[in-house]
Amino acid sequence: MIRDEDIIRIAAPRLTAAERLYLPQVLDGMKTTLTHLFRRPVTVKYPEEKRALRVDNHRGLHRLNRDEQGRVACVACFMCSTACPAHCIHIVAGDAPWPDREKYPVQFDIDELRCIYCGMCEEACPVDAIELTPEYDFVGTTREQMVLDKEELLAVYDRTCGLKPRKNPRITGYPGTGHRGQSVPRPPADEAT
Amino acid sequence: MPRIIIDGRPIDCREDISVLQAALDAGGDVPHYCYHPGLSIVASCRLCLMEMKVPNPRTQEPDWSPKLLPACQTPVRDGMEVRFHSERVRENQRSCMEFFLLNHPLDCPVCDQSGECWLQDYSFKFGRAESRMIDEKCKNPKKDVGPHTLLYQDRCVMCTRCVRFTQEISGTSELCVVNRGSRCEIDAFPGKPLANPLQGNVVDLCPVGALLDKQFLFRQRVWLLTSTPSICAGCATGCAIWVDHNQGTLWRLRPRYNPGVNDWWMCDDGRFGWRYVHDGKRIAAPRVRRGSEQTTPDWAAVPQLVRFRIEEHVRRHGGATLAAVLSPFMTCEEAWLLIRVLRDKAPASTLVLGPVPTAGETRHFPVGATGNTVKFTIQAEKCPNRRGIELLLAAAGGNVLTFEQFAEQAGKGEFKGAWIVGGYPQPWVDKATAKLAAQFELLIVQDIFENDLLPGAAIVLPACAWAEREGCFVNARGLIQPFQRALNPPAGAQRDGQYLYEIAGFQGLYSGVRVRAMMAEKIPAFAQLHEPPPMPRHAH
Ligand code: SF4
Ligand code: SF4
Ligand code: SF4
Ligand code: FES
Repeated sequence: MIRDEDIIRIAAPRLTAAERLYLPQVLDGMKTTLTHLFRRPVTVKYPEEKRALRVDNHRGLHRLNRDEQGRVACVACFMCSTACPAHCIHIVAGDAPWPDREKYPVQFDIDELRCIYCGMCEEACPVDAIELTPEYDFVGTTREQMVLDKEELLAVYDRTCGLKPRKNPRITGYPGTGHRGQSVPRPPADEAT
Repeated sequence: MPRIIIDGRPIDCREDISVLQAALDAGGDVPHYCYHPGLSIVASCRLCLMEMKVPNPRTQEPDWSPKLLPACQTPVRDGMEVRFHSERVRENQRSCMEFFLLNHPLDCPVCDQSGECWLQDYSFKFGRAESRMIDEKCKNPKKDVGPHTLLYQDRCVMCTRCVRFTQEISGTSELCVVNRGSRCEIDAFPGKPLANPLQGNVVDLCPVGALLDKQFLFRQRVWLLTSTPSICAGCATGCAIWVDHNQGTLWRLRPRYNPGVNDWWMCDDGRFGWRYVHDGKRIAAPRVRRGSEQTTPDWAAVPQLVRFRIEEHVRRHGGATLAAVLSPFMTCEEAWLLIRVLRDKAPASTLVLGPVPTAGETRHFPVGATGNTVKFTIQAEKCPNRRGIELLLAAAGGNVLTFEQFAEQAGKGEFKGAWIVGGYPQPWVDKATAKLAAQFELLIVQDIFENDLLPGAAIVLPACAWAEREGCFVNARGLIQPFQRALNPPAGAQRDGQYLYEIAGFQGLYSGVRVRAMMAEKIPAFAQLHEPPPMPRHAH
């Protein structure tokens, strides 16, 4: 319910004689157009020409990174699917077939049509397994084709890892990153209260 | 009622409880691992230490004790004074948390407990941000301690809750502490795996991710689950439970605090006995047969159709030839609606309590306990609501038979029409029961799985599993326990309560509460519900 006291009424300002003529405004617009005629164009003739992207932070197609041994780096923690505001990541977790790892994604699907390319998933991932790549020109003829599964996402990694290597900052000390038992530097004495 | 003073705030508390319990009851968040109200007190985790005023041994005057004292082990005394929000208490908590995390692998992303882990919560709230440990962490393999349970030893905080549970509640003592100091481990005795009928509780008890359930392992993250309060339908004990589900799929059952009935526990039969809910072979649509022709009617047409067939039968053969078999898996509300439908159309009709499944003997825990020492009971009667149905049959009066009597009389052809309700998780129609189908001209079967009665049935209505029902069950002690619906029935099916509500002539959505209010007018017992109090917010 809109209450009357919440409504603010604004009267339209009266136009002066010069404004009612419209000519100064038209000339103003022409000036902008003319200056642009002599500037360097910002557009390119896509798809013959393509823009150079900032590889590090362009938010395009996802990829699933591989660890040092070429296995999917994801540990199926569901952080990305929990963080995803579009609910487009669907994971089925299972027992990892490798002795040094606990959990891995049996199935990992991303609906690229639902995705809003916000990068929350990349932000949330504790092992930097999911990343957005500079790839933006992906098409499909059906909706199903735009749901990428684990193999397809790994293939995106294989395509793009030369261009943008995996970050892997190794912040967490657990088996997924092979850093279990890593020693942590002693904090300076004044912090260690 | 003793009154104690915590941080200057007077608190009235129950008799004979610990200071920790009093603080928790008053809504305080006091960190604790080893204390559990259902187990003996060992005061080994040292996380709950507080400053307390104790009598000075020289002067006998109450004075602040120079040492911190465990709040879990100190009973409340009238007029006693304790301090929780103090720098010394904080410092102890910080040190304890750092100690617990010395060897902890910090593998939260792959740990099933994360999201409901008290190590995470307490680290965040009472711990410190960084570790000063410079040595290698102790690594410990995971152990297969029993058919249902895994032990991730390096996540354990040695609270010994699991060990005390097997000693004091199940009475089977499979778990023990081996080695000492930083080499301390929990283990099962060699050749004696953790396999008692209550073992699933150690997974709930474990405050961290050390003991985990194999069936649930890696299936879901707990923060994705919705918990609905329910009552276990596994046996007549009627344990209060949480049904944890996500997007219409049930993932696990957990016990819900219910003092005097199941306390904090539940048995494994109930805990793991829900798989049938998602069985693909469930009946999911109503069926109607006339002669050899079978159709699937629209749900909107079902109430009218069922009423018409019953009325037609009563016109032709009289109401006395009609019987209803009520299953002990129905809720009281559903049974009441069905009785109402039948007695409305045919006051002389017969009501029957369906077969009551039993398995073995009633078992008490700890093993060998009797009388007052019993802490948990698994009933031999494997259905949730025999007493509820009996209560309703007694209130309905008129012709009431046992299932054996009914089978005998029906075999002689004394009944021409029957409404038989199943809903048993296990197959229940034996050869003799299946033969009865031929005796009826009008057979309405309400069941969850295909069985040999169905080919002879004029109308088949899909029944629901308990998690899809709503209403109340009456347990072995006669307590009327209401519960909510957690899941929707399979696509195409309707809740039993809903179609019975409509067949009984009501309109709109079925609600257990509304039907119960109508029942309570006729049967006052249904105004007295047993609803357990919630656990204090920060207790676990
Ligand atoms: S980029 Fe955003 S919307 Fe797309 S999958 Fe990641 S979190 Fe979801
Ligand atoms: S957040 Fe990373 S590790 Fe976790 S499920 Fe997503 S991709 Fe896998
Ligand atoms: S396994 Fe869990 S319940 Fe048992 S001692 Fe360790 S932390 Fe406590
Ligand atoms: S010492 Fe009190 S809860 Fe562990």
